[in-house]
Amino acid sequence: MFPTPVQQTSRPTRIAYQIALPVALVLWLLPLIGVALTSIRPAADITAGNYWGWPSSFNLIENYSAVFTNSPLAAYILNSFKVTIPTVIGAIALSSLTGFALAIYKFRSNLLIFFLFVAGNFIPFQILMVPVRDLSIQMGVYNSVWALIFFHIAFQTGFCTLFMRNFIRTLPFELIEAARIEDVSEFKIFWHIVLPLMRPALAALAVLVFTFVWNDYFWATVLTQGAHAQPVTAGLHALNGEWIAAWHLVSAGSIVAALPPVLMFFLMQKHFIAGLTLGAVKS
Amino acid sequence: MFKVARIGLRLTTAMAVVTALALPATGKELVINSDSSFPAIKAAFEQAIVGFEKENPDINVTFNVFDNEAYKSAIRNFLSADAPDIATWFAGNRMLPYVDAKLFAPIDDVWAENNMSETLKSAESSVTHYGKKWAIPYTYYQWGVYYRKDIFDKLGIAVPKNWEEFKQAGETLKANNIVPMAIGTKFPWTAAGVFDYLNLRTNGYDFHMALTRGEIPWTDPRIRKTMANWKELLDADFFLENHAANSWQEALPPLVNGKAGMYLMGNFIVEPLREAGLTDETLGFFQFPVIDPAIPTAEDAPANTIHLAANATNVAEAKKFLAYFARADVQSAMNETMSQLPVNSKSTVADDPFLRAGFEMLSNVNGGLAQFFDRDAPAEMAKAGMEGFQEFMVKPDRLDAILARLETVRQRVYQ
Repeated sequence: MFPTPVQQTSRPTRIAYQIALPVALVLWLLPLIGVALTSIRPAADITAGNYWGWPSSFNLIENYSAVFTNSPLAAYILNSFKVTIPTVIGAIALSSLTGFALAIYKFRSNLLIFFLFVAGNFIPFQILMVPVRDLSIQMGVYNSVWALIFFHIAFQTGFCTLFMRNFIRTLPFELIEAARIEDVSEFKIFWHIVLPLMRPALAALAVLVFTFVWNDYFWATVLTQGAHAQPVTAGLHALNGEWIAAWHLVSAGSIVAALPPVLMFFLMQKHFIAGLTLGAVKS
Repeated sequence: MFKVARIGLRLTTAMAVVTALALPATGKELVINSDSSFPAIKAAFEQAIVGFEKENPDINVTFNVFDNEAYKSAIRNFLSADAPDIATWFAGNRMLPYVDAKLFAPIDDVWAENNMSETLKSAESSVTHYGKKWAIPYTYYQWGVYYRKDIFDKLGIAVPKNWEEFKQAGETLKANNIVPMAIGTKFPWTAAGVFDYLNLRTNGYDFHMALTRGEIPWTDPRIRKTMANWKELLDADFFLENHAANSWQEALPPLVNGKAGMYLMGNFIVEPLREAGLTDETLGFFQFPVIDPAIPTAEDAPANTIHLAANATNVAEAKKFLAYFARADVQSAMNETMSQLPVNSKSTVADDPFLRAGFEMLSNVNGGLAQFFDRDAPAEMAKAGMEGFQEFMVKPDRLDAILARLETVRQRVYQ
């Protein structure tokens, strides 16, 4: 069997493994540990250069409550939800329809359209910065959550369509043929037969898109300004003072901002991993 | 404009509710846009506005707070498209683009009626362009050298008054393994602070202003004199090593831990240092030493201002507010809240040794008050300049190339 399970290797290898694993883990988690530690420090520690040492006092409650009382962080988090939830719904609704069409119907430009959706994923989205900003101004949505929702739906639909189309392809086509023989309308086939079978794919995609969109920083700073529309990734800077970067508050805010996707991940861990490999192999 | 309206709507709801309850609706309105998103500054504004509404119960004030950074890109937009009556901004050449674009209105009548040339004298030159007044300055803060008083006392160093004493103080500190000056130039405006002071002391206020207005070539021998003074400090290892890798904030620990003796900075340095444990016994302040005794001392003292928008709808109410904002009692109260200095000479200064020292220093300035390099020079020149200063501090040998580059930028920027 390859790779050989650790239990079956020689004793020195096992010992080396047991030592290397925690070391690698700590090393890998070091940045996160740093952020967590900073988030409970007083500001004085940072000014005094105590970045990694023992905190001079533990300001867990002070810092985390300051994040919500001294800054509009709650508004930013709310914006993140206002952007992320409609995007997840929109992207998944659209892509299950497009995925269905591309997987089930055989028409001449099928493959071409499919490639167009896929090609969208290969565009480095930074090159879209100026045109998308101009477009959102002309549409009158610039600097509102709608600018982000529209863009994310449009951009995520490409990837979601690839995902959905490949998933629906794996479903037995006989199901659809059987329904057609019974004279079921095409939409009803989609709604009553395909959609229920797509549930694992829907869940996996929902988790993925939620994480992608929640963590987006680039578009948040390009398309929105200020606490009325910006999501939390862009809003963390509001925790800084005019002159002083309040790293202890920014760290606390970052941890708060990271919680929803982390929670989402743990709640739907199974789907998340399934989502990464779904459609990778075709049976 | 959509975006301005949205920001305004959200942020003013609370304010509007308060005023709607308190006031009879007689229909007089006043709209103020401000960048005061930081808690202390916002509180100072709100307190001043409440006072204004009390005195003028017929005027309903709408106070829009923008995010400090977002304001800088929003202001041109809203001044031309959906103008408030009053907008906050900065003194010096930083306001020139809006003056030239006719987005700010001159307010000489407000200045004359309220005798402001006397009360706001110290900042008068910084709000005057083309012979007209364009703003009410309401707050500023001093720059200078913050130093470890306890270390100076222990080593028997007196507060340096001139260039020789300053360099000598540095030598004594170095002999005791203390770096003379902490600085972090990762964000290079700190290097511009050093340049401002060296140039103000070497060539004087008028020269410095002419330079930032683009009237003097960067290859001028007088600039070279300033840079030669700077090089003396660099050759003497005056500054913290690796300064280009640290922000100004990351250069604070050496001062706190006694590994550095001085820091040239604005008065906002005091708050984090106090938090970190320095007291009025261990932290002191002195005016940047004199280099050429023939040159009257000038200081960096950046002022914040409020302006009448050229497209304002409620001009009469706005002028009332401008006059109110210039008053001694209003400025005293606001600046006490913000821990800064009031501009009105009849104001009282908060009971704080550093604010008092700054107030005393600035009251005795006869050379003039500069607004800081990146407010006096246009944005593009300021950026190139600050990068050049940072480079010079790391590689002083490249002086010729740096000055030549700055001169190219000058010729392009000030056409």
